[in-house]
Amino acid sequence: MKNDNNWEPKIVTFLCNWCSYAGADLAGVSRLQYPPNIRVIRVPCSGRVNPFYIIKVLQNGIDGVLVSGCHPGDCHYISGNLVARRKFALLKSFLEYIGIEPGRVQFSWVSAAEGGRFVDIIEKVTSEIKKLGPSKKLSKWQKEAEYIKEILK
Amino acid sequence: MENKKFKIIKKKEILKLLESLKKEYSIFVPIEDNGDARFSEFKSGQDIFWDYRNTKISPKEILFPQAETLFCFGPGAEVKAEGSTPGGKDYLIFGIRPCDAQAISLLDKVFGGEDFEDPYYLERRKKTTVISLACSKPQIDCFCTSLKGKPENEEGADIILFDLGEDVLAGAVTKKGEKFIEKQNKWFKDAGQSDVDKKDKLMDLSLNKIKSQIDIQNIKEKLDNAFNDLLWNEIHQKCLGCGICTYFCPTCHCFDITDEINPKAADSKTPEGKRVRCWDSCMYPLFTLHASGHNPRPTYKERMRQRIMHKFNYCPENFKEIFCVGCGRCIRNCPVNLDLREVLVSLMSLGSLCKDKKI
Amino acid sequence: MIEKIKETVKKLFKENKIDIFIGYSEGTLPLRSTPCFITRSEDIEKLVWNSYCSNNLAVYLPRFFVSQRGAKDAKLPRIGILAKGCDGRSIVGLIKEHQIPRENIYIIGIHCGGMINTKKIKKVDIVAAEEKNDKVLVEDEDKKKVELKKEELLADMCKTCQYTAPAVYDILLGKEKQKTKKEDREAFIKEFEKKPLEERWEYFQEQISKCIRCNACRQACPNCYCKECFAEQAKPRWIGPTNDISDVMFYQIGRIFHQAGRCVDCGACVRACPMGVDLRVFTYKLIKDVKEFFEYEAGVSLEEAPPLATFKQDDKQEFITEP
Repeated sequence: MKNDNNWEPKIVTFLCNWCSYAGADLAGVSRLQYPPNIRVIRVPCSGRVNPFYIIKVLQNGIDGVLVSGCHPGDCHYISGNLVARRKFALLKSFLEYIGIEPGRVQFSWVSAAEGGRFVDIIEKVTSEIKKLGPSKKLSKWQKEAEYIKEILK
Repeated sequence: MENKKFKIIKKKEILKLLESLKKEYSIFVPIEDNGDARFSEFKSGQDIFWDYRNTKISPKEILFPQAETLFCFGPGAEVKAEGSTPGGKDYLIFGIRPCDAQAISLLDKVFGGEDFEDPYYLERRKKTTVISLACSKPQIDCFCTSLKGKPENEEGADIILFDLGEDVLAGAVTKKGEKFIEKQNKWFKDAGQSDVDKKDKLMDLSLNKIKSQIDIQNIKEKLDNAFNDLLWNEIHQKCLGCGICTYFCPTCHCFDITDEINPKAADSKTPEGKRVRCWDSCMYPLFTLHASGHNPRPTYKERMRQRIMHKFNYCPENFKEIFCVGCGRCIRNCPVNLDLREVLVSLMSLGSLCKDKKI
Repeated sequence: MIEKIKETVKKLFKENKIDIFIGYSEGTLPLRSTPCFITRSEDIEKLVWNSYCSNNLAVYLPRFFVSQRGAKDAKLPRIGILAKGCDGRSIVGLIKEHQIPRENIYIIGIHCGGMINTKKIKKVDIVAAEEKNDKVLVEDEDKKKVELKKEELLADMCKTCQYTAPAVYDILLGKEKQKTKKEDREAFIKEFEKKPLEERWEYFQEQISKCIRCNACRQACPNCYCKECFAEQAKPRWIGPTNDISDVMFYQIGRIFHQAGRCVDCGACVRACPMGVDLRVFTYKLIKDVKEFFEYEAGVSLEEAPPLATFKQDDKQEFITEP
């Protein structure tokens, strides 16, 4: 983290069980390569993703978040992703409005058959977040940990 | 009181005096902040807000901060306590109003009481010199004279100052204050009788400005039997349950202690984190929520009752003092204008003939 | 106007239509009115109506029905309430979210000419005030009187109010007031949007750092009726208890975002905030977005579904990342 050249972003992804997670799986079994910066959290549906998850992830010092679900119309629960879409449209707009970089929090649709698309999206998201640098704006523990270290020295 | 020796110092000199003390002390002075006054650490070139009406947030935050790290823990390291003043410097609280100085003397009873001692508070308190500034700017919601206060109340202060315009009159209250003035003698001159007369006049003027007067003699006794009174059903009605009154109160002292753990190592056996103490408020439902889910103060009524009873009944019982100094902050800042004075007046009517009195 | 209100309330008590009435009575400080709960008809005389009746009374309604929820035979109180435009919209929100039963609320709607923001009066030592038509006469300690124009003292949200009377009511009093243009209402948001990213962040940070987490914004908000707020939840623990700026940001983002599609811009949070945090520049952004994205306005209809509980097939999705 200290050395800018070697810095690699950490990105948390919330992937829906029925489409995007399976898409990531397909990318794996098809031996398609994608950047190892993402950490996958499987969720039942993109509609399950509480906006607080995203803010909490940023607060915990993660550099970016990607939420990915089924394409509109493909939701296993019929409309989970459509309700989520509304929520995320507002969240993304709001976070940018208060000054969080637009690339930090991203949303995408990836179906179970789109291993290639999954790879492309991960590549795009990773390179964008890499360009933005480490996320500091909402992060809490960076300075706290330094403080604790100082006290415990 | 009559024989008190007053010293005098030019206002301009005070800035120089504080400047020279910066090495020794962390100095807190009232400054202007967003149109209000607030205590803040003295910086070079900064002016003191002499004419301030009382600060929005009470200066208790200097001795009893809103959030305080008690100690840190981490892998392989011993627990280390951290609660002393930064840089080991002493504290100088300059220009605090007499009501807030009195509040400090009340907090001393809680944190340095016979039963419990709070090392964090006491450590800081021991190192603190309190210089109060007699009040010439009472507000319409001030009611210190209804309690034990007055514009030149000395309780809790080591030195009391009087703003005479060009000059400032200083009188030592405690031994600590005497020593302080002695040590800084070169800045002070002996005050003449005319200065003292001027001060007396100023205080009379100030006293007259405090128009709000409520009679709360024997309030403790009144409240002794009032726990189940029906009046509480009405008193709390408009309360929103926010924490403004308790957070702004100079004598409220409830806190909550929590561990904050770095999420990076939250699952490890040796987590890294810190234990913090934060202000809490009896007006919040979480304040008394049990782990079982039971809450002995489930509604606004019980919580409101607690705040009033704590200040005007329990504390007089435990510490022989009413824990209200009449600074008026809770009245001034209440979003629904729930006026403590009104509440007290209606509580005083308890047991009197007209049971049906309006609140 | 006040006579009409009193008359109506009297009638309601006489006809045994309500058990309790929520209105305003005279405050203890100049330029203040205070919420007042009336259960006896002889107390009706206490009621007042002036330009200081700024509290949103809808905030008190849910608590009357909390403990009874679930209990089948519990007798629910019948509540009469004086509702300005914003109060009325909040009530609609609460009914829609099943916090209060419509049939138990008697809404006395009133055309509101806007409420004064006392913080706009720079003179600090007001000891008395008097309202006269469109002017406010304030008096300081030295008995010096100053005449101020009410229009200049109106709170920001009142200045740009679109709904001066409630959309849903049982009886409506007063004369219709002029509404402001849409462009004027959103101007301050548009201006903020135009600022560079870092400048917006700077401002957000500056405002949040004032917050002392007294929770007044939440408690004053009629929409914040959750029995347990996320801010205080222990499992999961969303935010730490300290006034660390990151935690305060989480709290404010969370609380404001919870109002998405529900906020009626009554300004209760702004008024309650003792530290003067500029919350409205953030809350109104969501109002604007909800209107723009989903063509929805909170609190104006009982039938329309809440925007975040529904969807359209062709909802905006330009924000979705494409490879």
